[in-house]
Amino acid sequence: MMDDDHRVLAGLKVFELSVAVAAPCAGRYLAYHGADVVKVESRVNPDVARLFGSAWARTEEYAPLFMDTSPYLPEMTAGKRSIGLELKDADALAAAHKLIEGCDVFLSNFTPDALERMGMSYAQLHPVNPRLIHVVMPGFGADPDLPYYPFRAFGPNQAPLVGLDALTGHPNEDPAGIASVAPPDYVAGMHAVVSILSALEHRDQTGDGSSVVISQLETTVSLLGPFLVDHALTGRSPEPSGNRVPWAAPTGVYPSLGHDRWVALSVADDAQWQALAALVGGDALTEPAWATLDGRLAAHDAIDEAVGAWTAAISPAEAAARLQGAGIAAYEVLDHRGVLTDPQLRDRKVYDVAPSVRFGRDLFTGHPIRMTDTPASVPWAGPNMGQHTREILADRVGLSEAEIDALVERGAAFGERVPEMIVRRPFDQWYEIVGLVGDDAPAGGEES
Amino acid sequence: MAPWSGHRVVDLTGLAGAYGTRLLAALGAEVIKVEPPEGDPIRTYAPHAPGVEGPESGLWWAFLSAGKKSVVIDRSTADGEARLAALLATADVVLDDSPAALQDRPVSGHSAVRAANPATSWVAITPFGLTGPRRDWTTSDLVAWASCGLASTIGFPDSPPLAPAAPVQLAMHFTAVNAAIASMLALRGRRRTGRGQLVEVAIQEAMVSMAPETGVPLFLDDQVPRPRAGNRRPVTSPFGLFPCQDGYVAILALQPNHWQAMARWICDETGNEGVLDEVFNDIAVRNEASEAVDAWTEELTLAATKHELFVEGQRRGIPITPVNTVSDLRADPHLAQAGWWRDEDHPSLGQVQVPGAPFLVSHQWWNWSVAPTLGQHSAEILGAL
Repeated sequence: MMDDDHRVLAGLKVFELSVAVAAPCAGRYLAYHGADVVKVESRVNPDVARLFGSAWARTEEYAPLFMDTSPYLPEMTAGKRSIGLELKDADALAAAHKLIEGCDVFLSNFTPDALERMGMSYAQLHPVNPRLIHVVMPGFGADPDLPYYPFRAFGPNQAPLVGLDALTGHPNEDPAGIASVAPPDYVAGMHAVVSILSALEHRDQTGDGSSVVISQLETTVSLLGPFLVDHALTGRSPEPSGNRVPWAAPTGVYPSLGHDRWVALSVADDAQWQALAALVGGDALTEPAWATLDGRLAAHDAIDEAVGAWTAAISPAEAAARLQGAGIAAYEVLDHRGVLTDPQLRDRKVYDVAPSVRFGRDLFTGHPIRMTDTPASVPWAGPNMGQHTREILADRVGLSEAEIDALVERGAAFGERVPEMIVRRPFDQWYEIVGLVGDDAPAGGEES
Repeated sequence: MAPWSGHRVVDLTGLAGAYGTRLLAALGAEVIKVEPPEGDPIRTYAPHAPGVEGPESGLWWAFLSAGKKSVVIDRSTADGEARLAALLATADVVLDDSPAALQDRPVSGHSAVRAANPATSWVAITPFGLTGPRRDWTTSDLVAWASCGLASTIGFPDSPPLAPAAPVQLAMHFTAVNAAIASMLALRGRRRTGRGQLVEVAIQEAMVSMAPETGVPLFLDDQVPRPRAGNRRPVTSPFGLFPCQDGYVAILALQPNHWQAMARWICDETGNEGVLDEVFNDIAVRNEASEAVDAWTEELTLAATKHELFVEGQRRGIPITPVNTVSDLRADPHLAQAGWWRDEDHPSLGQVQVPGAPFLVSHQWWNWSVAPTLGQHSAEILGAL
């Protein structure tokens, strides 16, 4: 950390023992705001984000660096330090404990059983570091007496469990599922950040650390609040509504010019409805009964047909621009290419680029909280696996060069593989497309 | 003691901020919700409590405004704007989800308020940001899902893209939690600098931060489109939603041990011994034969209920979950035994069971009280200015 680091969490020390998404995305928020987040990694049992690798790197030549190549890595680990420790080894575990003694935050989505076995439960760590903020993120809580305690939670299975999939789709059709993203992972991760910032405040006031349990089940079910209360009062259970909502009609996705191109729009009030009717023109939307929300909700299908006939003749970008020009919320339904080339995201430099030991520079999604006085940033993209092992063991654990060598020799710790190999991703041209040109883009690495 | 007690938050937000200010209130902040004389629009959102009329009937309001105070200020008058400005200058944090062009209003916008009190921070929640060619565009939950690339990945290939759980307004809540984090960061930053600051949270950008999982990084790497594929995905097999006696279950055979347990279960229940053939241990083979694997899986799932399948499948080590409805969740044994639900005595709704805390902590942090009536705290708060 630089002494003049202005970022809000500069100086905060975080120990992250994590896999995939829920805990890493919380750690990433902390890293962006200046925390020194140390991610513990294992070669025996690597994070799935590393196991994905990249299809282009499945060659003998790239085998030693395959686990540094996943495009998900910078997404989840930008700005973090990576330490390679095999925690099944007693000395490696002792080093990890020593590291935790000097940390402010312990963040993990390993199971409570696994943490207990490693001596990393709150009860085990609190005596050695009473100021520690200990955050665990089990799928079903940390109370072994509860029915689902031993059950397995993976991101894509959690959304159905917490009620999201049953509400995704059109009425009277199969549920469409939302397997392409796991909102509960991110919702839990964000709540972990809330808990950590609150626990820091608590510690400033009292000197005490905290134990936090983020059970993904409860955390995401909370977001169904109004419907849970409604059920308690009336026994009603909501049905999927497609894209519709009861307070804004029409709301929907409409076909546009081109194959599988769509525009989304929401008419929030009666004035916007009149603006839409004028935009569509003719007498397509002039039915007097549709002038009110109730009338539009009752005739949503007929309105969708008329609106869809208008949108089908123009491109989604043009439809969105014309609708927004009339004050109506609308956007092209962007696909992956559309997101990367979106004029607004480009102008706002939403995609970030930072130096990378493996790639020279690497590209990843930026951070959504923009602080004007103390801007968030990360000094590097995803670290190589074990890139910071030696410096952390020396500076933070206090091991001598010889002690570190002994750990590495035994396979209890490991540093990065082939640090001298710098490769290029096949997508280098994207830097320009997402708007990172000239001074914004650090120089790329040499071809290996 | 609640961690944010002693801090004043003034809430000028709708759905894009309300869940975040609910969290701040529950964690001890004094959250003052400013309403127009006719009441906040959230009060009008369905569902409404049966037998209750007027501004206290809305269940979105009851849920999202728990723990907050309500003051009425008519912003359409100069006097109202002046009173609001005076209130805002007493805030540690202001959260506003007005359109970008209105965030910096002459009397009550962020520049004026921060000039009056440099210790105040202002969290500007906007659809697309305070800058950029589309800064003045408006949004909604659905439009947010469309603008971040996520909607295009959800739904069946032959029907329109979908917002996930449209009734829940998840994009708005996700943004709102980011805004709560932004508030807390601004408060921590003030400990060092003594100053408040302007913080931006754009709804589109908050949602883009959730989008990588849909394959944006992979697309950067290989430029292969990954369009929506319905409720099953070709990543592994079985993977997705499967019908059962009373609805659906979600199955994910990710690791080799998951599949082996799955195959044994199918064989035990349906007598299908072919499924145990070692050739299917290879994900690529199962994906190739996914129609058959799905059919065998359905033979199993159609013979039981989602809860039976959940418990037995999990016992066998398979990541399987029920596709729960709100009704299922309200009857869920785990949530009940965890003591998660909270009994509330609500002045207009009566005795009602409401959701508990979103996470557990080893201190008495959670600070729950019922949503305020319209203008309940006007005299207390405005009288003290």
